[in-house]
Amino acid sequence: MTTTFSTIEQLQPAPAYSQAEYVARLLSGRTLLPDTAENLKEVVGVLKAYGVVLDAYAINLQYIANHQFLNLIPLFKYFDGNVTPKKMAKHIWHNRINYEYAEYVMRTMMWHGGGGLDTYLDSDDFWACCSPAIHAKARRNPVLFVFNKIFPEFLPEQVRQLAYYSGLGQFWRVMSDIFINLSEQYDQGNIKSIDSVVEFVKAGLVADASRPITYSVTIGGTRYDIIPKSVGLTFLPDTAVPYVESIFFRGTPFFGTVSYNAQAHQIPIDQAQFGYGALFADPLPIGGAGIPPTLLMQDMRHYVPDYLAKMYGRSVRGQDDVRVQLSQSFQKSMFCVTEAAVRGLMPYPTNTTDPKEQVLNEDYLNGWMKRLLESRLDIVQSA
Amino acid sequence: MILSALILIPLAGALLIGIWPGTIATKQVRRGSLITLGVNLAVTIYLIAQFDITNPGFQFVEQLDWIETLGLSYRLGVDGVALPLLAINSLLCLVSVYISSEIKRPRLYYSMLLLITSAVAGAFLAQNLLLFFLFYELELIPLYLLIAIWGGARRGYAATKFLIYTALSGALILAAFLGLALLSGTGSFDYNPALAQGLTAFQQTLLLGFLLIGFGVKIPLVPFHTWLPDAHVEASTPLSVLLAGVLLKLGTYGILRFGLGLFPEAWMEVAPLLAWWAVVSVLYGSLAAIAQTDMKKMVAYSSVGHMGYILLAASAANPLSILGTVMQMVSHGLISALMFLLVGVVYKKTGTRDLNVLRGLLAPERGLPFIGSLMVLGAMASAGIPGMAGFISEFIVFRGSFERHALQTLLCMVGSGLTAVYFLLMINRVFFGRLTSADDSVGGSIVVTLPGVSWRDRAPAIALVLIIFAFGLQPEWMTRWIESTTTAFVPNALRAATLVSQPAETPLQTLEIQPPEIQTSGLSPTVTSLIHSPSIDINAAPGSIDWLSYAPSL
Repeated sequence: MTTTFSTIEQLQPAPAYSQAEYVARLLSGRTLLPDTAENLKEVVGVLKAYGVVLDAYAINLQYIANHQFLNLIPLFKYFDGNVTPKKMAKHIWHNRINYEYAEYVMRTMMWHGGGGLDTYLDSDDFWACCSPAIHAKARRNPVLFVFNKIFPEFLPEQVRQLAYYSGLGQFWRVMSDIFINLSEQYDQGNIKSIDSVVEFVKAGLVADASRPITYSVTIGGTRYDIIPKSVGLTFLPDTAVPYVESIFFRGTPFFGTVSYNAQAHQIPIDQAQFGYGALFADPLPIGGAGIPPTLLMQDMRHYVPDYLAKMYGRSVRGQDDVRVQLSQSFQKSMFCVTEAAVRGLMPYPTNTTDPKEQVLNEDYLNGWMKRLLESRLDIVQSA
Repeated sequence: MILSALILIPLAGALLIGIWPGTIATKQVRRGSLITLGVNLAVTIYLIAQFDITNPGFQFVEQLDWIETLGLSYRLGVDGVALPLLAINSLLCLVSVYISSEIKRPRLYYSMLLLITSAVAGAFLAQNLLLFFLFYELELIPLYLLIAIWGGARRGYAATKFLIYTALSGALILAAFLGLALLSGTGSFDYNPALAQGLTAFQQTLLLGFLLIGFGVKIPLVPFHTWLPDAHVEASTPLSVLLAGVLLKLGTYGILRFGLGLFPEAWMEVAPLLAWWAVVSVLYGSLAAIAQTDMKKMVAYSSVGHMGYILLAASAANPLSILGTVMQMVSHGLISALMFLLVGVVYKKTGTRDLNVLRGLLAPERGLPFIGSLMVLGAMASAGIPGMAGFISEFIVFRGSFERHALQTLLCMVGSGLTAVYFLLMINRVFFGRLTSADDSVGGSIVVTLPGVSWRDRAPAIALVLIIFAFGLQPEWMTRWIESTTTAFVPNALRAATLVSQPAETPLQTLEIQPPEIQTSGLSPTVTSLIHSPSIDINAAPGSIDWLSYAPSL
């Protein structure tokens, strides 16, 4: 039995399901997240807020990539080129969109790598593309010039990071539009179940799957391609899949009230074994796992739709712990997005009658579920 | 009349609530008690404002013969020792009524709280031994009922144990007072430091022994302490605040006023033993606190340890250490009340005080971060971190006692270190880590939802923290009321110290050293000047210290 403290209610553990049960559930067309009215409200509501915030992130990431190119002291990088006293005051007062969160995500993606973008940035082709841009920039800036002479690897590494800025910005552009559209469809009464949410997101991902990922900067009136279209990077395999891998699954541990001892191997030596991503993160801001989610929740709380705000207000702590509740809802919604990706990448339709295809489908799902079973999937099963 | 007012206002409130014909709503009972104690606090503040800080003796004296044949008179007075304790009493009683809510049988409950306020004020003010005893005993009855009726699961056991211990304490004190009156041959119970002068050393020591054990139960000192943790655990939060903050001070006040005050010669003789007793109390209390798994028991044992400092300082009996006793009473009153308040909030919100269950309460949004932060401050104050009242009082206690009992003082200082140990253990277990200890049966964990803490729960704790900081940063605000009285406590002790330390063949009459005149026209020196006094030679043997250098403005 559960021994813990609570003056509110008797706590009930979430029901436990096996890997086979989850696989069977996915094959039969049911969803990972239980299909309840509350879950639907939470998922759509939080994705609405997330869509608004992602829009701002996407714009800013691309602004930094395009307009703060090799600016080593980018004081006004979060201002999107609109530096006014009012905006500066708002920035310092801190009641603003925390673009720092987007940068954390960008760095985590860059650190874990994976996909075509990572491969390209380590190739000679990239070197050939970025050198002219660096030289063009260094010609106008003696500090950069000296820097580049002494540390020839430094500026290219900065450009790699800027390429990730741009790549993540383009990925989130698409996701933001999907989530906002989803919310509109829900408001119009067209979305009535978790399954339709998953299908909607899947359709969005599939529609933009082969959208090209490119990056170019303009220096002194000349356009320099950093990621030319000819490299052939596309949305789904080169940004979406690495994003899911590094942000949803791996992530990075952060400081908090829970600390790790890396020397005692409490942090896996193999980066691929990391389990600190969004699907594993603890909604309590203790820093145990995941990108510090408080920043994102802080940003989203300004855009929570009314129906969801009302629901949060009815909880025990009311408005006190909106960020924690947002974090919990956010995690639920990310299971839906993950499931959309799982469905989108499924080798054969779920209703196939060919036994060989059925076996391959099952193997594919088992591969996903093996990892998901370690996540907080079990916790979101409780009603 | 102002002193009688401090006794009569809460008494009148108690009677009014208790016997008011017709029904009163719980809210109104509480409001009535709050108004009564608010007025009481206002009168206390007025008293403090009118208090003459240059006068070391009793002020606002009221005298009314009561039962002359018994030697019982209604005689009240206040000096620098009683004044701060009165203030603490008025403040903490108000706090404890403020934090009482959802009380069953409210009329009895609140009238009992008011009765305690009245009785404790009476005990601090009484200038007649029998009168003191009456108030001392009067306070037991409401306290017993408050534990026995509104206590926890084992309230019957705890209340009875409390009653047996403290009734025995009362009996011993009464025996000492009767013995004093009979042996001195005056038949008067009026408080008079010269009362015991005609007694032989043996008689004095015997009577002092009765008093020490009697008040030792109340303080409580090891081994008479076992009633306290039980009483605290079963008592409700408001009662624990009162018990730790005010009622224990009756014991230390009694030891100071009647032990040291009436039997200075015998006191100086047994002083080294008392200092060792203090060491045992401090170390035992602190070590026992480390072993506790109930937050309240831990704070209760911490009280046992910290009250030991007062005995240590009292045993040293020099101006600085006596000042330290009163300051330690005040700061312990504030700090322990704060700790019990906070533990009470934790208990109210989580339903447990078990250190093995509580985890991660500092968690933002879902936990009790504000209460946790105040608890960290409380632990710091208790462990004597500079900037808070606990530091300055402990520092003066140790600085004053070191002259006379160097080894014992050093050992007691270990207790200060242990305070940090047990409170940090508690804070680490209860407030750090992830909120909830619970593994659900499938290897995950359950998100615990605690109800929010209202500002009403926080306000009294914040007020106490502010006072603790104020006295820590500006100790003069506390010492100015106390100092001239505590300095004047010493002439008796000085004479005793000299007597004791002289070779036996010296004729007694040549030792009639005039006590240093206490100058009443000017302010007595500040604590700082005492601390930095160059003539304090810490290497000097006991008895050979230049006591005269302590006298103000000579």
